[in-house]
Amino acid sequence: MPPKSAPIRNPERVRIGRRSVIAGGFATILLRPRTAAYAADAVSFGLTPVFLDSDVQLLSMLETYLAARLGRPVQLVKRRTYQEITAMLLSGQLDAAWVCDDPYVQHEDKFALLAVPLYQHQPLYQTYVIVSDASKAQSFDDIRGSVHAFSDPDSTSGYLVTRYLLALRRTTPEQFFRTSFFTYGHRNVVRAVASGLAESGSMDGYVWDVMRAREPELINRTRVVYRSEELGFPPIVGLKSASETDLAKALSEAFKAMPSYPLGRDILATLGLDGFTDGEPDLYRGTLEKWLLVKAQA
Amino acid sequence: MRSLTHIANWPLAWKVPLLAAGLMIGVAVLISQFVLSRLASDQENNLRLLTSAYLDGVSAAVLPAAQRADVWEAFDALDRARGHYTGVNVRFSILALPNGKVLAASDPQAFPVQSAVPAEVDKRFAPQDGLVIDYTSGRAWLSRSLREGRFSIGRILAEIDISELLRVRRQVLLTLIAVNAALALGFAAIGSFALKRMLEPLSVFSGYVERVRAGRADPIPASKRRGLSREFDRLFDRFNAMARALNDREELASRLAEQEKYAVLGKLASGMAHEVNNPLGGLFNALDTLRRHGDDLHAREATLSLLQRGLSHIRNVVRSSLVNYRRGDSQHSARAVDIDDLRLLIEPDASRKAIRLDWINDIRGSLPVAGESVRQATLNLLINACAATPPGGAVQLRARATDKALMIDVGDQGPGLPEDRVEYLLGGGEDGPAMGGGLGLWIVRRLVADEGAEIALVRQSGLTTIIRIVWPFRDEALQHASVDDRLVEETVHAE
Repeated sequence: MPPKSAPIRNPERVRIGRRSVIAGGFATILLRPRTAAYAADAVSFGLTPVFLDSDVQLLSMLETYLAARLGRPVQLVKRRTYQEITAMLLSGQLDAAWVCDDPYVQHEDKFALLAVPLYQHQPLYQTYVIVSDASKAQSFDDIRGSVHAFSDPDSTSGYLVTRYLLALRRTTPEQFFRTSFFTYGHRNVVRAVASGLAESGSMDGYVWDVMRAREPELINRTRVVYRSEELGFPPIVGLKSASETDLAKALSEAFKAMPSYPLGRDILATLGLDGFTDGEPDLYRGTLEKWLLVKAQA
Repeated sequence: MRSLTHIANWPLAWKVPLLAAGLMIGVAVLISQFVLSRLASDQENNLRLLTSAYLDGVSAAVLPAAQRADVWEAFDALDRARGHYTGVNVRFSILALPNGKVLAASDPQAFPVQSAVPAEVDKRFAPQDGLVIDYTSGRAWLSRSLREGRFSIGRILAEIDISELLRVRRQVLLTLIAVNAALALGFAAIGSFALKRMLEPLSVFSGYVERVRAGRADPIPASKRRGLSREFDRLFDRFNAMARALNDREELASRLAEQEKYAVLGKLASGMAHEVNNPLGGLFNALDTLRRHGDDLHAREATLSLLQRGLSHIRNVVRSSLVNYRRGDSQHSARAVDIDDLRLLIEPDASRKAIRLDWINDIRGSLPVAGESVRQATLNLLINACAATPPGGAVQLRARATDKALMIDVGDQGPGLPEDRVEYLLGGGEDGPAMGGGLGLWIVRRLVADEGAEIALVRQSGLTTIIRIVWPFRDEALQHASVDDRLVEETVHAE
């Protein structure tokens, strides 16, 4: 499960300070050429498509903020799937990335936690299984035989938790659902269910909650039939081999210090987060257990 | 008044604007047909281009999804394409797999994933790729096969709402109708106004010409000649010149007629004086004889008889004059005595030239004709006949009645009427007296015309010229004839 800023369709509802926007704009103008010119020196930071589809302005602010905090140009790297970002990080093409907790637990031996988001003051979130508002389903078991929309094969909330629930029932998606498909984005899961393309979907509860406030017309066409227990929020990770470097520390500090800066606060407001904190591997024990069970079934 | 049910009888002020409006409507219909036909053709071409562009874009977008059978990617591409093509209002689009099942549709609730494309929907599309347009329902259906090499990997089906095109077409049609109707009405109104303005002088002219027909030749006053075009100005000038000439001629004719009347009166008075004077000498001689030989019974009786005959002659002459100038009293009827009286009037002329009067009067009773007009016309013909007949000749009068008319022939042994006089006499109408001629023929002409009689020239052996006038009986005269006859009888007997 990646960093999941919900799509921002109503930017005016996000309180972004004028100064920070102006500063962000100037910084972007100044830093972009440098990013290109000094690509070798730039910090490469990976983001998942969910994030990228949401808000170009947010990307710009994040890039500006990190560059200012690190004192180096920052290059945000965007790919369609979690797997691509994970692979790039493992191969050393990225200095750090905001990944889902599923890839983290899969590669816990190689990834080091740099920062964990605080959502509602907790580094936790839930998985939601949603259906169309017109659906008669009231529980997870009621969605049997439906067309199901997953988010991403490496997403905890968008795949792993549902696979885990099916594993507990000794079944598979192919057996449980009439058919299923991946949308590669939590917002896409909402779109698929709201439009009727899918009859049910697995997604990040944090995204659904934020969307309810920002895109009520879309979200009101869906309804939650299952909420998982709280799991560790998708973290910002780097390679363990580089965890003691200045860059890793600076990145960790930059995220944790975000509430202290106007631009950082604007970023947090846009993301609907309270801040970032240090994370411990135990935070993702629940995710690990689910992954192990699913892996064992496979 | 001529009937307006026939277009030929319509006034020009109607016909020209209607013609202009009709032509405009005709042109408008042709132009509208052309414009609408061209619009429909252009719209269809545009629709083909737009839908082709739409299919090109959608095909490129969904091809990878079709290759991988990726439901979400296919849906996302179809869904995003709905609002990205201006002018192509996509109602729904389907990406169908080669097995006929829906991979994804822009309206998943109508066409769920993995469901078969409904047969009633599938049959609307062309069997091969192409565009099917149904103007009745305002829909168009387009399809495009997706291929990878020679293998089909899917088919895009889309229903397009073309009601906007039809709305534009209807709007264009309504606009054309409104504009063309306004133009036609405008041209008709302008044509009517302009023609009315142009024909106004003609209307004035026509009114004054109509007055001439009624016997009044009034010149067109200056107040009705303002703003005239040069053509009408000249026409009015000519008309006024003609009116003045007619008035002059009429006035001259009136004066001549008056003079002729006095001349006839003088002649009549002279004749009457002669007729009275002739027996007066004998009467005075008779008085002398009576004074000297009154004792002689035989002489006295003979003298008294002579006196009676002389006085009777004088009485007859006076009576005929009274009857001749009893204007209006006998205008509604004619009797034999009215014709015979004329003999007394013409006899002095005839006697002077030793002309024999062949007098045949077959009239019986009272005839419903204008007696005064009959007498005047006949008298004028007799005067002319005596004038034309050489001394020792004969003048003939024959009067007889038919069922419907009084027919009077006047014949003479003169050299005959010249051709121009004949034409003048028989021509009728309102022309003035003939140039170089007397007023006799003119008076005859007018009386004949006034009474609706017919005049003809009849030639007969033994007599050179016979002029015949047929006086038709008048119905209203019949009602008054008897009264007038009684009055005449009473007058004669009273004298």
